[in-house]
Order: sequence, then structure tokens, then C-alpha cells
Amino acid sequence: MNTEARFRDGLFASLPIVMGYLPIAFSFGVAAARAGLAPGEAFALSLIIYAGASQFLALALFTSGAPVLVAAFTLIAMNLRHVLYGPTLMRAAGPKATTRRAWAWAFGLTDEVFGQALGTLTRGGTFSEAYMFGLGLAAYSAWLTGTLLGAIAGGGALEGWPSLSAGLGFMLPALFLALLLSLLSRRQVPVIVVAGVVTVLATLAISPTSGILLGMLAGAGAGLVRK
Amino acid sequence: MTWQLFVMALLAGAANWAFRALPILLRRERTATPGWVERSLAAIGPAAIATLCVASLLPMLSSDLLALAPVIGGTLAVVGTYLARPSVVLATLAGAVVHGGMVWLLG
Repeated sequence: MNTEARFRDGLFASLPIVMGYLPIAFSFGVAAARAGLAPGEAFALSLIIYAGASQFLALALFTSGAPVLVAAFTLIAMNLRHVLYGPTLMRAAGPKATTRRAWAWAFGLTDEVFGQALGTLTRGGTFSEAYMFGLGLAAYSAWLTGTLLGAIAGGGALEGWPSLSAGLGFMLPALFLALLLSLLSRRQVPVIVVAGVVTVLATLAISPTSGILLGMLAGAGAGLVRK
Repeated sequence: MTWQLFVMALLAGAANWAFRALPILLRRERTATPGWVERSLAAIGPAAIATLCVASLLPMLSSDLLALAPVIGGTLAVVGTYLARPSVVLATLAGAVVHGGMVWLLG
């Protein structure tokens, strides 16, 4: 791609993300319905938060009755990694890249959108805000559409389809595992091992919510002490 | 939507926007970031993903081999697909398809 990437180039590049987001968002919509949320409420969560794992955790925290600030802090801590995406992307885009409309398109900088945009730049593509809008809007639309469809279908939608329900239920662990593989490097192994072990121990000893929070903090601590 | 859920969503959404947009909007000539900040920031991402991966797999583990087989199959499908073609979306879909397929096959 030698000319400036266009809006429709971004739309085209988003196709694999759209295919992945639709079923994951559908399963979020179903999970939200099971948790007692109305379709509009599930849609609002996707519209406002727009972060898959955080939204599933938000449901878990909400239904477990966790205090609002503790729940919000957990969700915020979970997405702190996104702080690194913008600078990394703009470094790859080069010094001439404009960011006048980043206040709008950057909200769509999810793990997958970031990965796709960075991959395009790494393969010799050029950066443009129009491309980022195309990439981000299609992914966001798929996320919202999937959520709404899942929430309307309702918590009992998959009762007659146990294998489909099982497949959708495995979507989230599969997504995390794939994301973990995408950022796996020798340098990150101690962080990953510490986070994983602490999560297991704290989950067994205290609770799943504590396991998640303590696992993240322990992993971040392991990163702090490494050379 | 209860006010608790709405407040939680607003705080998380505002933080998401800030994490994604502000580092781009506030970008200036390279300024020195303290080493410990950079190290801990760099570690939070992998730590969060590893934690979530473990936390989401833990409830699926079982001593019943028949129940465990789809989890193992799905996990191997994710790893195998990612190694063959490093795409998060493809690997995720492959894992879900294999897991669901094995549940169907094993009844």
C-alpha cells in the first residue's frame, strides 16, 4: 500500500475482526440477558465500555454484588495496557502521521484493532485517520450488533443447542489464550507465569474476583522487579 | 439499568477512552519516562491477559475426562491455529469451533 490508506481499506481490513466480534458479542448479549439485563442495558454496556473481557467481568462483578468503586477499579486496571497502544502505533506510523481526530477514532483502539493496524503498518502500509475510522467503526458496529442480537435472543436462546452454547462459551478463554500467544516473548514469561500462578492460588484460597485482581498486581510486580 | 451498573460502565468507559486516546493526543517529542513506570506498564498487559486466560479456563477444568476433552481440544486448536497463522481472530474461532464440535461428538 503505497498511497494513503482510505476509509474503505480500513473497512476491508476489519473483516476478520468483524467475524470474530459478532459471535463473541452475541455471547456477551446472551450472558447479559442471563444476568437479568434488558437488551437496551446490554447494548449500553457495549456502547459505553467497548472492551470484551471487561464487559464479561462487569457482569460477573455486578451479579456478585461487588462495590461500584472496586468493580470500576478492577475494570480500569484490566485495560491499563491500552495506554501503550497509541504510542506504539504512532511510532510505527511515523512523524508525519496526523492525529487531529484521534479523540474519536482512538476509542476504537481495542486489542484486535490495534493488532490489525500495527500489522498493516509493519507490512509496509501507510497510516491515515480515515483508515483508522474504517477499521474501528466496522469493528465497533459488529460489537454493538452482536450484543443486541444476543441480548434479544435472550438467556435461553441456546438451550436447544448445547454444542453451539459450549462453543460460544469457549470463545472467551480462546480469545484470551490467542491474545496471550500474540504477545508472548521470552521477556514476558516471568510476568505471565507469576500472574497465572497467583491467579490460581488466590482463586482457590479466596475468590475468583480476588484471583483476577491479585494475579494482575502480582504480574505487574514481577515486571517491576525484572531487569 | 441500575445506577451502580451505569456508574461502573461510565467510569470504565471513560478510562478506556483516556487510555486509548490521551497517549496519542498528548504525544509530544519523546520525553523520558521513569524506568519503573515503563516496566510496570509494559507488564500490566501480559499480566492482565494471562490472569484472564487462567481465570476463564479454571471453571472449565474437571476430573471427568469426557468433560475435559473439549477444553483440551479447544486449547490445542487455538495454539495450533495461531502457530500456523498468527491471527487472534482465526485462532479464537478455531478454538470455539473445535470445542463446540467435540461437545457435539461426545454428546
